[in-house]
Amino acid sequence: MLNYNSPIMNAKDYSGIKISEVEPIIKINLRGKNRDFITKIGKELSIIPPTDSNTSSGNEKLNILWLSPDEWLVYSNDKIDLKNNNSLEDRLFDQISKVKLGSVANVTDHWVMINLKGDNVFELLSSGCPFNFNDFKNSKGAVTQTLLNHVDVIIHNKNINDLNLFVRRSFSNHLWSWMNDSARFI
Amino acid sequence: MNKNLRITNSKFIDQTSRISFKFDGKTLYGFKGDTLASALLANNIHLVGRSFKYHRPRGIMTCGSEEPNGIVQVGKDPSMTEPNTRATEIELYEGLEATSQNCWPSVNFDIGAINNFFSPFIPAAFYYKTFMWPASFWEKYEYFIRKSAGLGKSPTKPDKDIYDHKYLHCDVLIIGGGISGIIAAKTAAQNNLNTVLLDDKNNLGGTTLFQNNECFKINNSYSSEWLKKEIESLNSFNNLTIKTRTTLAAYHSYNYLLARENLTDHLSLIEKKDKIRQRLWKIRAKKVIIAAGAMERPLIFNNNDRPGVILSSSIKKYIDYYGVKCGQKISLFTNNDAAYETAISLSKSGVTINSVIDIRDKSNSSIVKEAEKLGIKIHWRHTVVNTNGYKRISSIELMKLSDDGTAVVGNKSKEECDCLGISGGWTPRVHLFTQSGGKLKFRDTDNTFLPDKSESEQISIGSCNGDFELDDVVKNSNKSIKEFLNLNSSDYENLKINCSKETDKKNIWLLPSNKPLGKTKPFLDFQNDSTAKDVKLALREGFKSIEHVKRYTTTGMGTDQGKLSNMHALGIIAETAGVKIGELGTTTFRPPYTPLTFGAIVGRNVDEFFDITRRTPMHDWHTKHNAEFENVGQWKRAWYYPIENENMHEAVQRESKAARDSAGILDASTLGKIDIQGSDASEFLNRVYTNAWSKLEIGKCRYGLMLNEDGMVYDDGVTTRLSENHYIMTTTTGGAANVLSKLEDYLQTEWPELDVYLTSVTDHYATVSICGPNSKKILSKVIPDLDLSDKEFPHMSFKNALIDNVRCRVMRISFTGEHSYEINIQSSYGKSVWEKCFEAGKEFNITPYGTETMHLLRAEKGFIIAGQDTDGTMTPVDLQMDWIISKKKYDFIGKRSLYRSDTIREDRKQLVGLLTDDPNEVLEEGAQIVSETNKQPIEMLGHVTSSYFSPNLNKSIALAVLKNGKKLKGQKMFVPMKTKTINVTITDTVFLDKENKRLNA
Repeated sequence: MLNYNSPIMNAKDYSGIKISEVEPIIKINLRGKNRDFITKIGKELSIIPPTDSNTSSGNEKLNILWLSPDEWLVYSNDKIDLKNNNSLEDRLFDQISKVKLGSVANVTDHWVMINLKGDNVFELLSSGCPFNFNDFKNSKGAVTQTLLNHVDVIIHNKNINDLNLFVRRSFSNHLWSWMNDSARFI
Repeated sequence: MNKNLRITNSKFIDQTSRISFKFDGKTLYGFKGDTLASALLANNIHLVGRSFKYHRPRGIMTCGSEEPNGIVQVGKDPSMTEPNTRATEIELYEGLEATSQNCWPSVNFDIGAINNFFSPFIPAAFYYKTFMWPASFWEKYEYFIRKSAGLGKSPTKPDKDIYDHKYLHCDVLIIGGGISGIIAAKTAAQNNLNTVLLDDKNNLGGTTLFQNNECFKINNSYSSEWLKKEIESLNSFNNLTIKTRTTLAAYHSYNYLLARENLTDHLSLIEKKDKIRQRLWKIRAKKVIIAAGAMERPLIFNNNDRPGVILSSSIKKYIDYYGVKCGQKISLFTNNDAAYETAISLSKSGVTINSVIDIRDKSNSSIVKEAEKLGIKIHWRHTVVNTNGYKRISSIELMKLSDDGTAVVGNKSKEECDCLGISGGWTPRVHLFTQSGGKLKFRDTDNTFLPDKSESEQISIGSCNGDFELDDVVKNSNKSIKEFLNLNSSDYENLKINCSKETDKKNIWLLPSNKPLGKTKPFLDFQNDSTAKDVKLALREGFKSIEHVKRYTTTGMGTDQGKLSNMHALGIIAETAGVKIGELGTTTFRPPYTPLTFGAIVGRNVDEFFDITRRTPMHDWHTKHNAEFENVGQWKRAWYYPIENENMHEAVQRESKAARDSAGILDASTLGKIDIQGSDASEFLNRVYTNAWSKLEIGKCRYGLMLNEDGMVYDDGVTTRLSENHYIMTTTTGGAANVLSKLEDYLQTEWPELDVYLTSVTDHYATVSICGPNSKKILSKVIPDLDLSDKEFPHMSFKNALIDNVRCRVMRISFTGEHSYEINIQSSYGKSVWEKCFEAGKEFNITPYGTETMHLLRAEKGFIIAGQDTDGTMTPVDLQMDWIISKKKYDFIGKRSLYRSDTIREDRKQLVGLLTDDPNEVLEEGAQIVSETNKQPIEMLGHVTSSYFSPNLNKSIALAVLKNGKKLKGQKMFVPMKTKTINVTITDTVFLDKENKRLNA
């Protein structure tokens, strides 16, 4: 059997902040423009993709993050069964891409999800992120695509002081290392 | 034994906490709350350094960031020593070691002081005029000039301190915690605005904090008492962040500001260990209120630079705040009322005041009357014409001014003193305002530049806006703040304010002397030894612009950036040239306001965080197998895998031989991968690449060249058709992000009609490339069910497959010319698949190879690397790849440019192969190619782009770009190197397997 290796496989606890890699979870990139695309996604996932910029929608199983006027990131709340992790992708691909409604791309391993939790999460982010979190931190479900220590990231405000951060896999070790180095000064 | 000049009435210094420190090797003592400057003055030490040019003795002159003279070297650790640190801003800590600068062997006896005797011969621009002749001697002069240049010593080892950066966003940023800043902060915070208040000192309050004078009262309390209560009230606001020890360094456009916070500079060596030393705050503010205050001006007269000559307001701070007497017999010299505040403070503290010398005829202000009541002697309409004393002022010489103030009259008198306080009026700190792009206006009444127009959301309040009287500061600040923040009222509406009002003003930029100007030394720039004479010399020599005079005389070019000198330089230029100061303008105030450490600029972007790095899923395997890594973009790519003591050449020879003889394995995960979907995907590719894509069958791969709009090669890669409307494109490793942006840009702006969607999947897939005659056998062990026959799986095709039930895509494509496969699988399984392939290949001696071997193998086949064999000036035709340009397609990016007169020139540089006459001679990449070696000037016809020793061909091979190269095949050329000239022959670009037999072997 092939071995599954996520890049970080670690969790750390600092003063007022816990950071942990949460994998494997499924992540799918959706792109489409017309109303049929939105309707179909809503029907397949039981969630309407948000059309307001930098917002998200979700249910018990999945979240959809707005990335651009015609692009969304779907990710699962729960860890996936490695033996059967293509069913959602296949279903969406058949219903969207094959019928020319838009595009469906599996980006499960393109992104690595890191959960940041605790009173000091925004303190940590302010060490390397130019984004203004003053309103974001109070907006549950808010999404931003920004830079953290020069690395592109997507940040999803799941709950009060509970964030999911997505970073490209190849950058993830570097960013993880930087986050740990930053957290020791908080 | 030094005298202790400390008095005990200071509330700001903890005289129960004694701190020892060293200055020039001598152990001294101060108290918690002292600066190095106040502690030295308390120990009766004025002489702290030598001036830059004449090595004249210089002492502490101010109490703030404008200090030009009291700059010292702090620390002896070669990794942390810091030059040019202002003694006035160093908070005293246990273990502090400071030394004087620009002197040898000591500050008391400095050999360089001989320059002072030669000063008549080395005026401004001496260097420019003298060291021009003879021109060939410049390098010899330069050696000595470089040795004498610079102040202090730079650290010689890496900095061990920790620095940090943080971002901050606020509604209102207030710069300066003096009385106007406090009013602004409280008003903003009371109105629920997210407010940040910065001050460079260790506590808030500015000069009002220690203003205990009957003449300055608010609501019947001393202004200091009133302000202390206001400061205490700030603690109740959760929406107000106060940062002390924080200096605003730069104010950029759109209210983006940088501030440096000193976190541990004031702590003892033990306390500061493992803590962040300084933090650079990157601030975005919706609104900015500048309350930076004003600087007292010096007066310009003969020998105004001696140790013991101190700004009058600084003497007041030293006595009122630090409890330090700057001298025991102090004289004051002024053109305004401020010096009388100092006189009263000194008098109350029991310090002998000789007299106040005032250039004005009279003043009826209450503060002057108060001084007169205390019996302080005042010399009206007098000036100081000279000072005496070498390492410390010992006396001054006074004379009466003529009615018009341009000359001195009567007899000279002498006054013994050990300190002279000087006050030439006030200069608003407008530096930050102008850094942000604000324009200044000039106020003639008191010769000040004031903030005028600004594009950004900001105001200046208090003395930095030209309000120098207490009632004006409070009332005008309150009015401005309310307007700026759109408020109807504030807490500061009906305050009862008593203050002394200055009734008489007089300003003389260069005070007259009883000697001709040429015989005097009236210093303007104390750090750079620039005098009023120098400025006048520059004007005589035709320099009119303040920017030119600055550079010619070096006025304002020291570490203090002329904070004290610039206004007087302007005044003297204006007077001499007969123009108005307002018309002259100022020099440009550039960030940082005060020097920043490199550490603060860099933050934690050092060592492993110097640059961000990307790792492939197989990175740990490469590390474990002794790989050396190469930086490709931000990727860490395995470069080669040395065994035992192999060097790179030996490792690469072994790896490339193994790949051709049996099997090699390469981590190709870094290649950019773009998922392309949509009904117009084929048409999109037709427009992007030079060749045709509509007829590419599903399951087949095709190589493509992408051009810029100018027809030059931009990127290349193999794209695979996965299904009718679904492709996956690969790009170069370094070009991936730019290619995706460029294509997305085209889709959004040029081709919005196309139904195409792009998604980057670079990181989703790990790519394992296996090549060589035994690659098929290895793959058949890894994926036994896959039919690898040439019929079912020919070159340039792909198959979906499963490895242990995990989906993967296998492409049969080759960058080495060998029979090759690329397995693309989810990154989380990349390392496992790599290990599986490696295990399966062991019986075939499968050899991991890195990027260096990859480059060699592809060069043997004449395959280009975009970015190495191309440089943005090569068309496909130049690369001898005419075959890839479709003649049938209507259009593609760059097509039109391929038919410009310049791009169809036959004598353009073209890609060729090179073989050296000596097969063991390996050319240097970048080496120039010539046809004649005796011709002068020698004509460069091209250069080597790739060069290797091929173990498979047992000879040196190279690719080059050469003018008219296509027609020169077989001809001899020369590659001149430093020690010899290498003979080469122009050849075809393909050195190995021209028939492509190995691809299907």
